[in-house]
Amino acid sequence: MSLIPGRIATLFGGRRWRSLAPLAVLIVLCVLIAIANPNFIEVRNLVRLANSAAVPLTLAMGLTFIILMGSIDLSVEGTLSVSAMVVVLLAANDGNGNDYGWWAVLAAIVAGTAMGFVSGLVQTMLRIPSFMATLGMWFIGLGLSVYMLGGSAIKLNDASIRDLALHRFLGLPVAVWVAFGAFLLAAVIQYHTKLGRHILAIGGDEDVAKLSGVNVVRVRITAFALAGFFFAIAGVLAAAQLGQSHAVIGDGRLFAAVTAVVVGGTALTGGEGGVVNTLIGVLIVTVLANGMILLGISPYIQQTVQGLMIIAAVALSLDRVRLRIVK
Amino acid sequence: MNEGFSIRRVFEGRWTQGAIPLVLLVALLLIIEIAAPGFLTGETVALLFANTAVLFILATGVTFAILLGGIDLSIQAVASLASVILAQLLPSLGLAAFPVAILSGLAFGILSGVVHVKLRVPSFVATLATGGVVTGLALWVSNGRAITIEEGGRENTAWINATVAGIPVVVLISAVIGIAAFLALRYTRFGRQAIAVGAGEPAAWAAGINVDRTKIIAFAASGMLAAIAGVVLAARLSSGSPVLANQLLLPAIAAVIVGGTAITGGLGGVARTAVGALIISIVRIGMTFVGVNIFLENMVFGAVLIAAVAITIDRSKIAVIK
Repeated sequence: MSLIPGRIATLFGGRRWRSLAPLAVLIVLCVLIAIANPNFIEVRNLVRLANSAAVPLTLAMGLTFIILMGSIDLSVEGTLSVSAMVVVLLAANDGNGNDYGWWAVLAAIVAGTAMGFVSGLVQTMLRIPSFMATLGMWFIGLGLSVYMLGGSAIKLNDASIRDLALHRFLGLPVAVWVAFGAFLLAAVIQYHTKLGRHILAIGGDEDVAKLSGVNVVRVRITAFALAGFFFAIAGVLAAAQLGQSHAVIGDGRLFAAVTAVVVGGTALTGGEGGVVNTLIGVLIVTVLANGMILLGISPYIQQTVQGLMIIAAVALSLDRVRLRIVK
Repeated sequence: MNEGFSIRRVFEGRWTQGAIPLVLLVALLLIIEIAAPGFLTGETVALLFANTAVLFILATGVTFAILLGGIDLSIQAVASLASVILAQLLPSLGLAAFPVAILSGLAFGILSGVVHVKLRVPSFVATLATGGVVTGLALWVSNGRAITIEEGGRENTAWINATVAGIPVVVLISAVIGIAAFLALRYTRFGRQAIAVGAGEPAAWAAGINVDRTKIIAFAASGMLAAIAGVVLAARLSSGSPVLANQLLLPAIAAVIVGGTAITGGLGGVARTAVGALIISIVRIGMTFVGVNIFLENMVFGAVLIAAVAITIDRSKIAVIK
């Protein structure tokens, strides 16, 4: 029995005072918004909140593993739009005669995972920093998807895929349950598999991990492919929610995902934090966005607030002792 | 003294990295001249330079950040904000709208630099964050719409679209900026220190260089040049929009790297960026010419970026590649 508190502590990353701060921020935020506008805690609004958290949560799960390694994946929007493009073009749509149903979803997930796999290969085999490798992959993915869509918006007509967003199970859209499933999967991977431990080890200290026998190259490639897998699921959810795919389906998603991961308390230096932190980070970002709308603040200013949140969170959480040189 | 000489050494030499882009540029020009004789006339070359001007100004700014071993991912946001400010203020302030727009870029460049240096945040995250802040502001100021510069305002932007002695003013502006940046990097204390910091930060610290100040100045320059690029772009298009320069981030960074400036810092310069920007511009023209779909441009530039980084990077400088 005495193990349980210990495990909860590890689950939250060990250093309790620091890892509980995001949770406190989330609670304070919820209370303040609820006081300012009681509509916030209406069931209808909470469902809307869960619905708008689905895509960012799934994206942020993938990104968490990359940031845990001390790397970054800027290809979030590229991979998401490729996956959304594949699912829309292969399922019933108003652009061509395809109707492969759920095979389209499978193909989209394979495409996204392949994109991540290529990012991993480029980063490890060409030995270039991940932010450059994935900056390139971002625009490769974006260019590919816009080209395939012919620059226009194409409608998704497959009813069963649309049901991901429209059908409700226990009061919540299926997409929310899918995102929750993605969270559980990510949690299992991080806390109960060798891969998860190796990712943390690489983020903690890559040289030590290598000397301890971790196959760093393989773990890195696997992690990028895994991130691509999560981005692809998010792409399918986004296509289902919007009922179409277009050139700007990914706009602003990288920013929201990075904010969520960083605000949740995962350190950009790697080795600290995890998917539970990110869950809280996603909720903070979504609640704040929702609250700003309820309070009548211009939605345009949201990115400004998110940017300031990244700066604040990084400034508070960065383990500066380890950083002599910051580039 | 000859014992260290080998072919390999020549190819790994620093001068080859500067020479390869130039050779590539000449080769591209020759290919186009052969494919479409008469391309290399004064008029088309002036047009080529005019179309490269905005890209070059942006790329010159980001060269400062990259020379230090950092990156500036906020340039497209800063340029867009400057275009919005210019379009918004031209009717009321007239020509005074130009300095306001450009100073906004300077301010956000300094903000990026201070966040990066004082809060010790890696530059790609610091500038990603300030980029978001700036984009939000631009959307807010413009209400999410493109703002057309009306007839009255166009009187004040006409000089940018004019030509002096047959040379477009935008080309003159970018030439002045290019030369100023070149001289600043080569002959001022800031320039020498910036290259020293990029070449080896611990050594620069030890030599007593004020690394923090050097970095903040570099990011301030990057922000200000981005704003100038945004202003020029707005004048050319007669419109300001919060997404005006979004498509320019990747080409600008690609221009710097393709020109032969290493992302590891300390090696490269503005002259190389000029070559890189021309290469990007010619590749773009060439793609339209050959009939490559315009939507595929991003794919090509993404691949070019990865290849160029892989070639120019100095791997001895990074112990662990993250």
